[in-house]
Amino acid sequence: MKRIWLWILPILFSACQEEVFLPLGQKDELVPTIEGIWTDNGIYNEVKISLSKDYYDSLDVEIIDNAEVVITIPGTEKVIPFRYINGTRSYRPINPLEKAVVGETYKLNVKWGENIYISEGVMLEAPTVDSVTWKFEEERLFREEGYYIKVYGKVPFKEDNNYRIRVIENDTLKNQRDDYLLFDDTFGLQFFEQGLELGYAFEENDRVRLELFRLNRDAYDYLNQLVNLLFSDGGLFSPPPQNPETNIRVVQGDSEVLGYFMVSPVLARTVVIQAKYD
Amino acid sequence: MSFFRFLLFLFVFGIVGFANAQNLGKVRGQVFDVNNSQPLIGANVYWEGNTASGVVTDLDGNFELVNPTFPAKLIISYVGYEKSIRIINAKDAEKPLRFFLKPEELSLEEIIIQERRPDEQIKNLEMGKASVPIETIKNIPALFGEVDLFRSLQLLPGVQTAGEGTTGLFVRGGSADQNLVQLDGAPVYNASHFFGIFSVFNPDALKSVDLYKGNMPSSFGGRASALIDVGLLEGNNEQIKGNGGIGSISSRLTLEGPLFGKNSTFIVSGRRTYADLFLKLSSDENLRNNKLNFHDLSGKVSFLLGDRDKISVSSYEGTDFLGLDDQFGLGWTNWVSSVNWNRVNSENSFFDLQGYHSRYSYKVEINDPDNGFEWTNRLNETGIKAIWTRVLDTKTTVNWGIHSQYYHFSPVDLSPDPGSGIQSIATNPKNGWLNNLFIGVAHEISPKLSTEAGLRWGIYNQVGKGVEYFYPNDQPERDKQIDSVAFSTLEPMEFYQGLEPRLAFRYLINEQFSIKAAYNRNFQYVQIATNSSAGLPIDRWVLADRYTQPIRSDQVSLGLFKNFDKNRWEFSVEGYYKDLRNVIDLRNGAQVLFTDQVETEILSGKGWAYGVETLLRKNTGKTTGWLAYTWSRAWRKIEGVSENQAYNPRFDRPHDVTLVLNHEFTPSWSAGLTFVYTTGQAVSFPVGSYVVDNQNVPLYSNFRNQDRFPDYHRMDASVTWRNADKGRKWRGSWNFSIYNLYGRKNPFAYEFREIYNDDFRFEPSDGEIISARPGIVMTYLFTILPSITYNFQF
Repeated sequence: MKRIWLWILPILFSACQEEVFLPLGQKDELVPTIEGIWTDNGIYNEVKISLSKDYYDSLDVEIIDNAEVVITIPGTEKVIPFRYINGTRSYRPINPLEKAVVGETYKLNVKWGENIYISEGVMLEAPTVDSVTWKFEEERLFREEGYYIKVYGKVPFKEDNNYRIRVIENDTLKNQRDDYLLFDDTFGLQFFEQGLELGYAFEENDRVRLELFRLNRDAYDYLNQLVNLLFSDGGLFSPPPQNPETNIRVVQGDSEVLGYFMVSPVLARTVVIQAKYD
Repeated sequence: MSFFRFLLFLFVFGIVGFANAQNLGKVRGQVFDVNNSQPLIGANVYWEGNTASGVVTDLDGNFELVNPTFPAKLIISYVGYEKSIRIINAKDAEKPLRFFLKPEELSLEEIIIQERRPDEQIKNLEMGKASVPIETIKNIPALFGEVDLFRSLQLLPGVQTAGEGTTGLFVRGGSADQNLVQLDGAPVYNASHFFGIFSVFNPDALKSVDLYKGNMPSSFGGRASALIDVGLLEGNNEQIKGNGGIGSISSRLTLEGPLFGKNSTFIVSGRRTYADLFLKLSSDENLRNNKLNFHDLSGKVSFLLGDRDKISVSSYEGTDFLGLDDQFGLGWTNWVSSVNWNRVNSENSFFDLQGYHSRYSYKVEINDPDNGFEWTNRLNETGIKAIWTRVLDTKTTVNWGIHSQYYHFSPVDLSPDPGSGIQSIATNPKNGWLNNLFIGVAHEISPKLSTEAGLRWGIYNQVGKGVEYFYPNDQPERDKQIDSVAFSTLEPMEFYQGLEPRLAFRYLINEQFSIKAAYNRNFQYVQIATNSSAGLPIDRWVLADRYTQPIRSDQVSLGLFKNFDKNRWEFSVEGYYKDLRNVIDLRNGAQVLFTDQVETEILSGKGWAYGVETLLRKNTGKTTGWLAYTWSRAWRKIEGVSENQAYNPRFDRPHDVTLVLNHEFTPSWSAGLTFVYTTGQAVSFPVGSYVVDNQNVPLYSNFRNQDRFPDYHRMDASVTWRNADKGRKWRGSWNFSIYNLYGRKNPFAYEFREIYNDDFRFEPSDGEIISARPGIVMTYLFTILPSITYNFQF
C-alpha cells in the first residue's frame, strides 16, 4: 500500500527527477552472497555463491568457486555433495538425480575458507494446479491491454501457505521488481480456486512457462523483503532500507552473509497464447 | 396619453427633475463603523484639496456636501478609524452614498500586544511554549498560497519537519504521533490533507494556536512530546460578516454573526480544493479520470447564558478523496466535535466542563471483478473533562480536575465484493479507558520567584471487547501463538497507571530578564505502528496492551529570557534533555495493517533527545518576525534495529535556522520573506550491491541512518496588496507568493536502482535493454512555485 506514493506524487506535483552522483560508503570487506535452491526437480537445484561489490561497480559480481557445498538431512547420514560447474557458475549436485522429497528437512552447509554457513528448510507438499487459461482483456487500471493468464488450482493446506510464481516469457525470465508474484493466505486462497490472474499482458503466440513454488516462511519473508527493498524510493513513505533477513547462519567465522536458502516443490506449466481462448 | 398630458408630464417631472438636480448639487451619504454598522457621529467629510468646505456627520451619520467638479476625491476621516478616500463621479453623486470606516488598522505587533503582554515571555512560567498569532501565520509565504498552520509551526525553534512539503511535526526529538493535536479540546488523529501536504485547519476559522513543546500544564496530557492546542474562532455578536479567499488550488469562505440576538453567535467556515478540475484538463485520459480533492467544514455556536455561563458547541469535518479511474478509491475523514461550558462561579472561582468526540475513518476500495474489496477502519475517542479553578489570592491559583477518555479502535474490516476471490478479514477491536486526575498550583513565592507545580495521575485500562494472544516466554513472534483469551465488553484486559509530575520555576533577574527551569513527565497510551517518517492515512494506531507499554517521556529544560528596547525585541535561549521509554519501531518486513497480532511486528526500545533553541523576535514596528537557530540531536535505541546500537531517526537534523520577516511598506503594500536551513535528513545509503535472484540489490550497512541528505535550504517570499480603503464593506487583497524563490533542488528521495541505456527514465518495458548500470535517481518536489490568492472580507 505504501507504494501508492509512487504514483500519487506524479499526479500531485509532476515531481521532478534527475540522475545524480553521491559519494557512498563501502563495506570493509566484501560480503559473500549464498543463494541455494533445493527442489524436487533437478534442473532447479543449485547453489550460487558470490561476493558483493561497490555500488557503482558495473562489472559482474565476483563468483566464489572454491567453496565446499553439501546438503545433508539432519538425523541421517545422508550427504548430498555439490561441485562447482563453470558453465552455470554455480554449484550443482554431483549426482543430478538427487532431489528434495516431501517431508524431509534439508540442511545446506557451505564452507568457504574459514567460514562455515548453514541453513535449513523443509520440503513441503505441492498444491494442485488444475488448469491454466488466458483471455484478452481491455486496458484496466495498472493493466495494459493484452492476454492475461489465469491459474486455477487448489490449496488444501492450513499452514505454510507461502507461494511464488515465476513467469518465463519466450525463454526470458520476468525478473523486474514489478514481476514478483508472491502470495500467502492473508486474504485467503479462494482466489486461487477462482483463478489467479497473473499481472502480465501477453501477446498472441507468446510461449509462457509458469513455475509455482511453495516456500518455507523464512524464504518467503526474504523474497518479500527483497521486493520491498527494490521498491524503496528512499522517501518519507518508505521504511528505512534494510537488507532482507537471510535464513543463512554463520556458524564459524566473523563475516556477514547475504542471500537465502529455499527448499520447495515446483509445479511448472507451459502454454502458448492463442486466440482460441479469446 | 394626449399630447397636452404628455407636455404636462414633461413639465411636471422635468421641473421636479431639475429641482432635484439642483438639490443633488450636493452629495449625500452616511458613514458607519464597518464592524457593527453603527453610524459614526462627527466624522469629517470633505473633498480633497478643499477641507474648508467640509462637513461633519450628524447623529445618524448622515452628511451632505456641495458638489465639486466631477470626478473628485471624497475623503472621510474619523478619529480612531482609517481614512477613506473614494473617487466620486457625477453618476455616483446621484444616489446616497454609504461609507464603512474601519477602526484604525492595528499593526501586527499591536495585535500581538493585545493578545499577550509585551513582557509575557519574561514574566510567565511557561517554557517551550510558542503562541503564533493567526495573523502572523497568514502573513508567512505559503506553499501554493495555502496558508498552513503546521507549516508555520515548523518555522519555530525545536520543531522539525519530516521533509519537503509535508506538515508532520517532530518536536524536540519526538515523532509525529507523540503530538496531541486538538481542536477546541477534541483530538484530531490525522491532522493532514493530501498525504501530509496540508494540515486540516482552515486558517480563517482559527482563533489561536498554542504549541507546548513538552512542558504542558497538568490539565493536558496523553502525548509524550507536544501539545498543539488549536482554538476555533467564535462569531461576532454584532452583524453578519464574512471573509474568504480564492487560491491556486482551493477556495474558502467563512460566515459569522449573531445567532439569536446578541447573546449567541455562530461561525461557519468551509474550504474545498479543485485539483480534480485541473486533472480534467489533462490531455492524459488516465489523469482525466482521476479524482483528488479535499474539503473541510467547521462551525461553532456560542451562547451566553446570563453573566456567568457560556456554552459553545463546535464541530469540524474534513475529508480527502483520491480516486483512480473508478477502479481505486481512497478516502479518509476526520470528524471532531466538542461542547464546552464555562462558568464563572465567582470572581475568583471558575468551572470548565468539556465533552468531545473524535472519529477518524478511512476507506479503500478496489473495484475489480476478481479481487475487488472494500477496506475500512475507524478510530474513536470520546472524552469528558472537568476543571475547577480557584484564585486563592493574588499570589496563588489552583486548578484541579478529571479527564476521562475512552478509546475505541474498530476492527480492520476488509469485505470482498461479490464474486471476489479475496476472503474477508476482520480483526478484533481495541479499547482503552484512561482516567486522569490532575491538580496544578501556580504560586508567586516572592516578587522575583514564581513556581508552578502540577501532578497528573493517569489510570489506564485496556478493556474488552477484545482478544489477547499468548506466546512462548511472553515474547510475541509471528506464527508462534500458543493461546488466546477473549474478553467481553469493558472487561479489564491490561492495567497501567503512572504519575506525571510537572514543575516549573521562574526567577526574575530584572524586569527585562528572567531564568526559567521546568521538568515534565508524560505518559502516552496510543501510538502509531510505523517505521516510515511521514504519516499515511492508513497508519495503524495501537493502544497500550500486554506487549506494548505506554510511552514515558521525561523532559528537563532551562531557559534564559531577555527583552530589549522596551520589549520591542525578545530573545530567548532554551536547553532541554528528553528521555523516552517504550517507543516502538517495526521489524524488517513487518505487516501491520491486517494482522490481529500486531505485537508480533513491533520492536520496542528507548530514545533520547537534547538541544539548545535560540530565538530572536521582533514584535513591533513596520518590520516584524524572528530569527531562530536550534542545535539538537535525537536518538533511538531499539533491540532488533541497527545492531541494537543507538541511531538517529530520520528527522534528526542537528542545525536548524529559520528567518521569518514581514514588512509593511504602506497600508496597501506588505511583504513577507522566510528562509529555512537545516541539516539534511538522516538516512541510509547503500555501501555496495550484490546479486540475488537475478537482481542487482543495493547492500546496506547494518547500522541505520548513518548518511545524510544534502543540507536543506529554501527561501519563500510573498507580496500582499490590499485595495485602498474606499469605505466599502467589501475589502479585498491579493497575495502573490513564491515558494522556493531561488529554485533549490532539495531532494525528496533518492532511489538506488539500475539505469538502463544510460537513461534514468527508461523502463525495461520501454524497449530493448542495451546497457544497465547502478545509478541514483533524485526526486525533488517544488522549485520556484508561484501562486496567487485573492482574499476578501465583507
